Amino acid sequence: MKKFTGLVSALALTVGFASTAMAETSMGIVVKIGGIPWFNAMEDGIKRRADELGVTAEMIGPVSADPALQVQAIEDLIAKGVDVIGVVPNDEAALEPVLKKARDAGIVVISHEGPGLENVDWNFELASADGFGEAHAELLSQKVPDGGKYAVYVGSLTVPLHNAWADAAIAWMAANRPDLEIVGDRYGVAENVDDSRSTALDLIAANPDLKGFLAFGSQGPIGAGRAVEERRKTGEIHVMGPFSPGQGRQMIHSGVLTGGYMWNPAQAGEVFVTLGNMLANGETVEDGADIPGLGVVHPDAAGHDIITNNLLEINKDTVDELAEKGL
Amino acid sequence: MTALTKHMARLKSGPAGENTGLLLMLAVLVMAFSLASPRFLTGANLGSMGFQMPLLGLLTLAMLAPIISGGLNLAIVYTANICGLTLAWTLMQFGGAEAGIGAFLLGGALAVIVGVIAGAIMGAVIAYVGAHPILVSLAMMIFLRGLGEFLTRGGDISGFPEYMRVLGHGTVAGVPVPLILFAVIAFGWHVLLRRTPHGFSVYMTGSNLKATEYAGLNAKRTLVLIYALSGLLCAIAGILMAARFNSVRVGHGEAMLLITVLACFLGGIDPFGGHGRVFPVIIALVILQVLSSGLNLIGANQHLATAVWGLFLIAVMVLRSDQLRLLGKLFFRKDN
Repeated sequence: MKKFTGLVSALALTVGFASTAMAETSMGIVVKIGGIPWFNAMEDGIKRRADELGVTAEMIGPVSADPALQVQAIEDLIAKGVDVIGVVPNDEAALEPVLKKARDAGIVVISHEGPGLENVDWNFELASADGFGEAHAELLSQKVPDGGKYAVYVGSLTVPLHNAWADAAIAWMAANRPDLEIVGDRYGVAENVDDSRSTALDLIAANPDLKGFLAFGSQGPIGAGRAVEERRKTGEIHVMGPFSPGQGRQMIHSGVLTGGYMWNPAQAGEVFVTLGNMLANGETVEDGADIPGLGVVHPDAAGHDIITNNLLEINKDTVDELAEKGL
Repeated sequence: MTALTKHMARLKSGPAGENTGLLLMLAVLVMAFSLASPRFLTGANLGSMGFQMPLLGLLTLAMLAPIISGGLNLAIVYTANICGLTLAWTLMQFGGAEAGIGAFLLGGALAVIVGVIAGAIMGAVIAYVGAHPILVSLAMMIFLRGLGEFLTRGGDISGFPEYMRVLGHGTVAGVPVPLILFAVIAFGWHVLLRRTPHGFSVYMTGSNLKATEYAGLNAKRTLVLIYALSGLLCAIAGILMAARFNSVRVGHGEAMLLITVLACFLGGIDPFGGHGRVFPVIIALVILQVLSSGLNLIGANQHLATAVWGLFLIAVMVLRSDQLRLLGKLFFRKDN
């Protein structure tokens, strides 16, 4: 009997709370996995922006990168009755049914790094494939005023994103710096430090006029940088590409690595909240609108995509701060 | 009453006591979460839990029977994936999203056959070769995973007919369809284990394989059959998974493998085989679901949820230990 009265009072409390808790916008953002530096940084961004805007936002990071856990987390958010659901998908196809459910329930759905998703209001990207490749090519072009040769690495020849970056970079170089010539074709070694290093050593030996490496793939810049250091070519041969700031910190400071670009997960977190709040308040995303964190946008309404170029440069000045965030 | 009969009486009341303990735990959790979050005891949240639990539940039942028979089936998730792939492949042959209900039935039947075969092979190797179930099912898990990744190249197959949504996301009179499916299967599983000769053999095999054989029961056939049935449940889980995610990929749900073991032990299944019932395991599943959804509702970290699960299991072990009972006896000697 005692238990029963307890239950009744709990129910009564439930009803009491439910009527008061609906006022402000609430959001839940489900990321690929919790507890890794990239998404910890994203959570910081989410919290910061939510405080600024006076909304409630929480990030849910599943314990493993299993799409089944993302589906469950989204279902819990629907049950919770949030106004906005954000997601960084592990597997786009597996999320479609549950995201449809969310939209049917009148919830705004936003995704990041999910360009193929159908059941979203908007998907946003902080880096377009072309912009990312071109930015690296431009950096190389600045560092090498005279003609010469350069080599291109990709993580593996079958990684679509890396190849898209490489295509854009090579096209930019062909159009803007005809005096800089590419060595061979691209090399699929950049997922592995040792392969990147030994390939770089071979290329340096074979091409006396080699001026730079564009290494797309997290280990490529590190491996090529080591080869340059071993051959004492620091300053003569420039290495650039996206890499983990923590891993490349020393090499940036010693000048072996010139730098590269990445996008900022904290900024992506902020954009989730900004965009979510806008859409929840009934605003729409128009062409040419200036959205904080994204800049002036040119949305692709048919594909629900907002693609921007908000690149973050990794160089001597920024690397320490980025590395300290654990990125 | 002599001491012996008293002891027997306590042993007999054991499972009932277990249920009360688990139900009490569940009641405490439900109370705590409904106080912490106004959203907990709402239809939306209960519905969401009802959609989430069946998948883990089916896999747990698939894990349960082999554990009672004194083994373990580590291949459950990948068996489910392979069965899901079988269904997906069949649907794709009949036009993907346009495939008729006949194609689904055929695909489902093929999926079940694949699951039963995978299970039966494991059972046969365990029974006739005498290899340890952990090793055999581990080998099967690695084989199925490799096979699936080879066939799909790690990608997914998606785009199923619209009517499959009903299976994964539909409701009948407000009750989620997956939950109804799970309830029917769990009841069938209970009947199979407790009310049929085969179920009796499973318990006996789990208690003492040699003695069972000397007693004239066909323990080897029992093992093959129980792993085949476990494979059957995996197939159903695989079909449900395909319906819920509208896609199949090797690795979907792999995080659930160890949670099924957790649910079994939380539900009082003897890790060494021979003892355990379906009902307490279902309460244990509900407890895990309440914890997971409840912590999500109040916005707690997911890693905290797993930590709490672990603590729960340890607490249950401690509460069940004989030492504690002896200690209790010491204090309440007069009542005895």
